[in-house]
Amino acid sequence: MSDRQYPAPVQRFFRFFVGNSVVERILISIAALITAVIVSSLIVLAAGYLSGEAYNPLEIFAVLVNGAFGSPFDLDSARLFTEGWSPVNFSMGTTLKETTLLIFAGLAVAVAFRGDLFNIGVQGQLVLGGLAAALALVWVAPFVPGGLVGSLLLIPFGLLVGAIVGGLYGAIPGALKAYADANEVITTIMLNTIATGTAFFLVSAYFADPTLQSVKTKAIPDVARLNGIIFPQGGQFSLVALVLALLATVGVYYVLRYTSFGYDLRVSGKQAKAALYGGANAERMVVSTMSLSGALGGIAGAMWSMMVIGAWRQGVPSIGFDGITVSVLAGNNPIGVIPASLLFGVLKGGSNAINFQLGVPPELVAVLRGMIILFIAMPEAFRMLGNRLGIKPSQAAVTGGGGDE
Amino acid sequence: MSNAPADRSALGSVRNWIANIGRIPRLVIGALLASMFVGAMINVLMPGTRPATVAGIFNVSFVESTLRISVPIVFAGLGGIFAEKSGVINIGLEGLLIISAFTAVAVTHLLGGDAQSAVWIGLFAGVLASTFLALVFAVLVIEFRADQIIAGLAIWLVGLGLGPFLSIVIWGSVNSASISTLNTVTVPGLSQIPVLGPIIFDASPIVILMLVTIVVSWFVLNHTSFGRWIEASGENPSSLDTAGVNVHRVRYVGVVLSGVLSGFGGAGLVVGRAGRFIGSGQTMIAGDGFIAITTYLFGNYNPLGTAAAGILFAGLDALQIRLQQIAFIPAPSELIRLVPYVSVIIVLAFVGYTRIPSEVGEHYESGEE
Amino acid sequence: MAQTTQPPEDDTGGGTDPGPAVKMENITKRFPGVVANDQVTLEVERGSVHTLLGENGAGKSTLMNVLYGLYQQEGGTVYLNGQERNFQTPQDAIDAGIGMIHQHFMLVDTMTVAENVTLGNEPRKWNGLAYDAKSAREAVRELSDRYNFDLDPTAKIEDISVGEKQRVEILKTLYRGADVLIFDEPTAVLTPQEVDELFRIVDELTEQGKTLIFITHKLGEAMEISDDITVLRDGENVGTVDPETATRESLAELMVGREVMLEVEKEDSQPGETALSISDLVVENDNGVRQVNDIDLTVREGEVLGIAGVDGNGQSQLVDSVVGLEVPDEGTVDLYGEDVTDISRREHIERGMSFVPEDRQARGLVMDFDLVENALLGNQYDPDFTSGPRVDWEATRDHAETIIDRYDVRTPGADTASESLSGGNQQKVIVGREILRDPDVIVASHPTRGVDVGSIEFIHDQLVELRDEGKGVLLVSSKLDEVQQLSDRLAVIYEGEIMDIVDPEEVTDRDVGLLMAGEVPDEYGGGNE
Repeated sequence: MSDRQYPAPVQRFFRFFVGNSVVERILISIAALITAVIVSSLIVLAAGYLSGEAYNPLEIFAVLVNGAFGSPFDLDSARLFTEGWSPVNFSMGTTLKETTLLIFAGLAVAVAFRGDLFNIGVQGQLVLGGLAAALALVWVAPFVPGGLVGSLLLIPFGLLVGAIVGGLYGAIPGALKAYADANEVITTIMLNTIATGTAFFLVSAYFADPTLQSVKTKAIPDVARLNGIIFPQGGQFSLVALVLALLATVGVYYVLRYTSFGYDLRVSGKQAKAALYGGANAERMVVSTMSLSGALGGIAGAMWSMMVIGAWRQGVPSIGFDGITVSVLAGNNPIGVIPASLLFGVLKGGSNAINFQLGVPPELVAVLRGMIILFIAMPEAFRMLGNRLGIKPSQAAVTGGGGDE
Repeated sequence: MSNAPADRSALGSVRNWIANIGRIPRLVIGALLASMFVGAMINVLMPGTRPATVAGIFNVSFVESTLRISVPIVFAGLGGIFAEKSGVINIGLEGLLIISAFTAVAVTHLLGGDAQSAVWIGLFAGVLASTFLALVFAVLVIEFRADQIIAGLAIWLVGLGLGPFLSIVIWGSVNSASISTLNTVTVPGLSQIPVLGPIIFDASPIVILMLVTIVVSWFVLNHTSFGRWIEASGENPSSLDTAGVNVHRVRYVGVVLSGVLSGFGGAGLVVGRAGRFIGSGQTMIAGDGFIAITTYLFGNYNPLGTAAAGILFAGLDALQIRLQQIAFIPAPSELIRLVPYVSVIIVLAFVGYTRIPSEVGEHYESGEE
Repeated sequence: MAQTTQPPEDDTGGGTDPGPAVKMENITKRFPGVVANDQVTLEVERGSVHTLLGENGAGKSTLMNVLYGLYQQEGGTVYLNGQERNFQTPQDAIDAGIGMIHQHFMLVDTMTVAENVTLGNEPRKWNGLAYDAKSAREAVRELSDRYNFDLDPTAKIEDISVGEKQRVEILKTLYRGADVLIFDEPTAVLTPQEVDELFRIVDELTEQGKTLIFITHKLGEAMEISDDITVLRDGENVGTVDPETATRESLAELMVGREVMLEVEKEDSQPGETALSISDLVVENDNGVRQVNDIDLTVREGEVLGIAGVDGNGQSQLVDSVVGLEVPDEGTVDLYGEDVTDISRREHIERGMSFVPEDRQARGLVMDFDLVENALLGNQYDPDFTSGPRVDWEATRDHAETIIDRYDVRTPGADTASESLSGGNQQKVIVGREILRDPDVIVASHPTRGVDVGSIEFIHDQLVELRDEGKGVLLVSSKLDEVQQLSDRLAVIYEGEIMDIVDPEEVTDRDVGLLMAGEVPDEYGGGNE
């Protein structure tokens, strides 16, 4: 360990994240990614055969990635770069919008995983958090002055409402697990559907915008929205939101790494018995971990309402479920959530490009997502493969919490 | 479980299985029967009134549509029992339903889409697809020690990704073209029996298959050696191992069976009733796979109780559809649909009745203590 | 690997005695760093009850696991009925007529007695299609009747008593045709009445020609039940004796041996006021069985109170109640006169109670974490290592390095994950962390288990030093020499009760051994408090 020349916080960062198991984790994630791309390519080839169109997987993935950033590279001609490309473009906005939402959802899942809890319910926490934020802003905005002052008051308020409602909704499965021993996997799956149904019912029965046919709340006033500053208005992406997401990542990293609470959370996740020995309150840890997780999910929902829709409407996209994918790919590591979110943001952002340019259904991205999780789920397979190929982790890199019994 | 009742009479065994299906299904079945009875009385005593209109919902066609709606839930629920009893929780049932529904429609469509033979082949192709995916899941969790929840999630997401994607490839839309459905099987004579006749003997072959599968599953789990092994594999695998039975093999069979049965559920849904694949949103399966998990928790892993719970949930769905058609009842149908979900949480938290096999989720390796 | 040995006498000649039912010759089995069995030879006569007696870790279970095919020996030969047999798997052993009754039952709680007994060999009907529950019930009933087991084949395992479960385990082996039955600590989980019942069954089995091997550390029951007793100590056979002629004294001596004592230098204690006081403490398990039965103890400042006893006699439950990990069912624990029975674990730590747990890899350390993070365990709310909600990692790192220096932890550095340290060094980290917390009372549970000799000495010295500084030390250990040497007063625990509190300077090994086995010696060598 010759990282002594770095300043102390950097050293700590390395120690926390660049252990053997983290390196192994990254290798496994990359291997899973590659395998998923290969298998998806085979599926694409088969699909091309079925539909009578000659799909070229390489071309599809190239267009997918290139398109996600608004095609900086000119793939069709000898020129490398597209003329007149600017980083501020619609596709880039879409990619970063998805990235932003996924960072929050991914952090939500990661925090829970760190405490050995599987919060499949981020989707539900997100739905209710988003609804609460939208309703609260619609109500409160008339009493707040307009302009920058109004935005500075209303936007944090909306996010806070989302966090509180999401956190409370996350606390339910936490309490059910801590005090009634109800498996959080099952309760959160149930609570997702309950959240969606309840939100639908509430909006359609009480809060629907009477001027619209659809199940949608009144619009959030402009002053309370996360609008584009650099990226064009209507691109549904605000750089402020992305900055908030990055700050949240640092915040989660800080809480996990630098606070007593985060310490208890991590010990509870690794070795519950050691946490009790060290004075942690097991029940309270479960509830507070789930609340924190739910709060992050609630913020993701508030962001969706305040940035993407400008209201709340039915048919919330499955950001919460994608958050699971992100967190699993990131090895439940808050910093890792950023690249993992960006990856899925690129997949979403580029899906339009493959549709327009190549006529490939954007649903391919969902196939890829499934494949990635499928291969991520089998680290042992890659370990075996690595051993067979003679790639051995330098030490006995034991991950996945094994070996403590 | 129920193979050793003190009372060997027919009545005794009936009493015995009622005792075994779980407290909640028992309660609910009771309530359902009671409300049907009340409904019938209202119908007879005050025909033409508003209460009678409401009560009129509960007729033979209501039961028929309930059974048809219940197909994916019940099949997947039965499949889930085999997997989870053997010690592998399969939360990918939803994905298995999606993939089999899609495959059944696709294969039928590619074979022309009209002939009954094509529909039957489509059905079995759907079952095959689901079985294959379940086998992948089994290899993941048994061979590669994958986390069962994450692997199950992956199976769901794979189904959710592949179904709509391939739909667009084939039909240019996430929703498929229409195919024929299986013809109703009518048993001459028996179908004339009032009430029961049209429900059981003049029904979709899928519904009949479902009713048969319920009984067969119950028999296999309760009256065969394999049923004992499945149970031991989930409760205390080392007891099975030390008795000379290969735990991995039992778990493979359990998981693959969940694929076969879910296949009949998903494929049965499209070839029996829907006649097409709908891939928008959460697809046409729309959470049935997750409801299936709750049915066996309700049914305490007993196929009869599980099927009862599945049929009950389907009944709530059918009821919600019908209530919407009655103008004078402002039914919050969205809330009715939530009843199964809320009740699962209540059961898990406050009744604490369902006993999950103790080794579910745990990898087992022979020789480990 | 196996040494070439004389082939056994050709036993094809009809009528010749095939020799002992089981003969194990010069069995050697090593585990990393330990020789679990060192050239052990054992002969078990057909139709007899042969007991393997020894302390925990003496190598009894290892020897039997070799016989049962769970382990492969590095040296030596196993004979069954005079024929050389080496079983690769338990299945081989079962097929050859060996059955093992495990301490942890291999039973499916949700299934009936008959289903459990026949599991894997179920009688079938309808051309093998269906499980023949009736035949299974009858077969089990018939077996149960033959050996007077008094079991209901239709009862579910979860509804029957522990003693009955054990009989189901025995039936399982008999159903599979076992002639040699190995019992692994069969009385550990039984009530005295159930032990009587087991012994009745043992008689029944031997009368019908079965050969029984008993693994136990309780000499009383060994004397009562055995035809022969082989004593193991530190992986060696130290003698096979006839219980008719042996005395308890001679057996206790054989078991405990005259180990080379690691002398602990210590002055006489200067006990001060009462630091920790335990009164009328009762802890019950889920089934309502008392595991700690009405215990009263006090630990004064400046003294080591030792608790000697065979593992599993309630020590863990007692310790957990004292340190705040378990709330006792009855009784109180006072720390300097203040009732701390119901307060949280965290408050216990804050009030100056340190704890060296017996299971260091599950509780004392987080195996994945490095030593810096482990130095914080239990200190994460201590103002010395935090400011507000924030952890001061610099201070924690210094602390970890202090522990490493002062407690002689052999590690590449503070950034090493604790799982890559040896057991002794892991333990020194815990001991260091707990002592540096400057506690008023320290509870040390088996502090030197699985620790190398050098570390043992070091840990012992640390505990004595703490005592000399005027702290109260509660030491629990199943190592007799350890508690005897370190303690100023020695309490002996048996089945959740304190048999007596004795002066460790005066009392003999033999008397302590008897107390540990639940026997009250006729007279004490030393002062009885």
